[in-house]
Amino acid sequence: MERHLAACRDCTGRAADLRAESGLLRVGLDMAVDDVDFKDFAQKVMARVTPEKPPLIERMRLALSEMFLYQRTAMISSLATAAVVLLVALPLVLRDNAPEGYAAERMTVKSIQSYQGARVAPVVMETEGGGSIIWMVDEQEQAPEPAKDAAGQKKPGVTNPDESSTEPQDEEGQPSPAPSVPPRPTGGAL
Amino acid sequence: MATDDLTLVKRVRSGDQRAFKLLVERYQRKVYAVALGMLKDKEEAMDVSQEAFVKVYKYLDHFKGDASFYTWLYRITSNICIDVLRKRRGGGEPVEFDETQDVDLSEARIGALGSRLGTNPQKSALRKELAEKIQEALATVPEKHRAILLLREIEGMSYEDLARTLDIPKGTVMSRLFHARAKVQKILGDYLELDEAKSGVGNE
Repeated sequence: MERHLAACRDCTGRAADLRAESGLLRVGLDMAVDDVDFKDFAQKVMARVTPEKPPLIERMRLALSEMFLYQRTAMISSLATAAVVLLVALPLVLRDNAPEGYAAERMTVKSIQSYQGARVAPVVMETEGGGSIIWMVDEQEQAPEPAKDAAGQKKPGVTNPDESSTEPQDEEGQPSPAPSVPPRPTGGAL
Repeated sequence: MATDDLTLVKRVRSGDQRAFKLLVERYQRKVYAVALGMLKDKEEAMDVSQEAFVKVYKYLDHFKGDASFYTWLYRITSNICIDVLRKRRGGGEPVEFDETQDVDLSEARIGALGSRLGTNPQKSALRKELAEKIQEALATVPEKHRAILLLREIEGMSYEDLARTLDIPKGTVMSRLFHARAKVQKILGDYLELDEAKSGVGNE
């Protein structure tokens, strides 16, 4: 065919016409299409083909599967970044919750325990910031109080060896009731 | 690497809307170009292009996959365009082109278009007036011939693909394409001759 085209003036002319016309059509239509904005075209088509919304779970499932299908690299890198951030942030957050000592800016009471039979005296210290420090002080073991009847009178026969010398007496020789002074903390192991 | 059409079609069938959007984005310009070439009206061409994609989505289960997706898409597009043109004429029968009629391809005109446009049609087509003349020339070609010409030139379809797309014998494709080209060449040749006589523009 190439040999024929080289020799035949008619066919060479027709081939040139064909090429020119073909090029003109393509370029002419391309120019017309270039004037059009296709930004919303696909959106409009999609809106027409999906008039009703599928259920939420179905949409989420599709969105997730599409994300993994079309944006796999972005998804994987995002997940990796999130994992790294979590690994760095988690110890910081957890460390912040633990008390760092009495001088620390923030202290958190983790738990309060009471010991059966223990005699403790709380010492409450308020800080300038409004926080409180509760200090539990061990109380020294005290001698048991004498048994009293319902009216508060001592039962006869029940004596305390220290009573005679330590209990104050009033003018009439009757023993006065013990002053209700709270037991003084004497300290203990911190 | 871009996913091929058939894979996207399979994904659409399994409910993947995003795959259909990719198909739309892939063919929207070409479908619009075919519609514009057929209808000569930007608004109508846009509506028809959208309609073509909606129909494709709706009847996707009918697509067997034995031919390429785009031949099926263009068949739908050109059929919608032909329907629109029929409605425009008021439902009358289309004016069929007489393929037995001789086309004026006299010896004196052979190569005229090629020699006037030279080897760079893009440079010449940049002239808005010439682009309009191309549209005008296309409008004179009967719609079925126009569809073949557009699909051949825009999509570069083979005769076999054109025959499959339009569901006509390959011989008919060749015949219609020949007549369509002859008609367009004649109009463009006349225009360029007149243009040249007036101002001498058009030569390289």
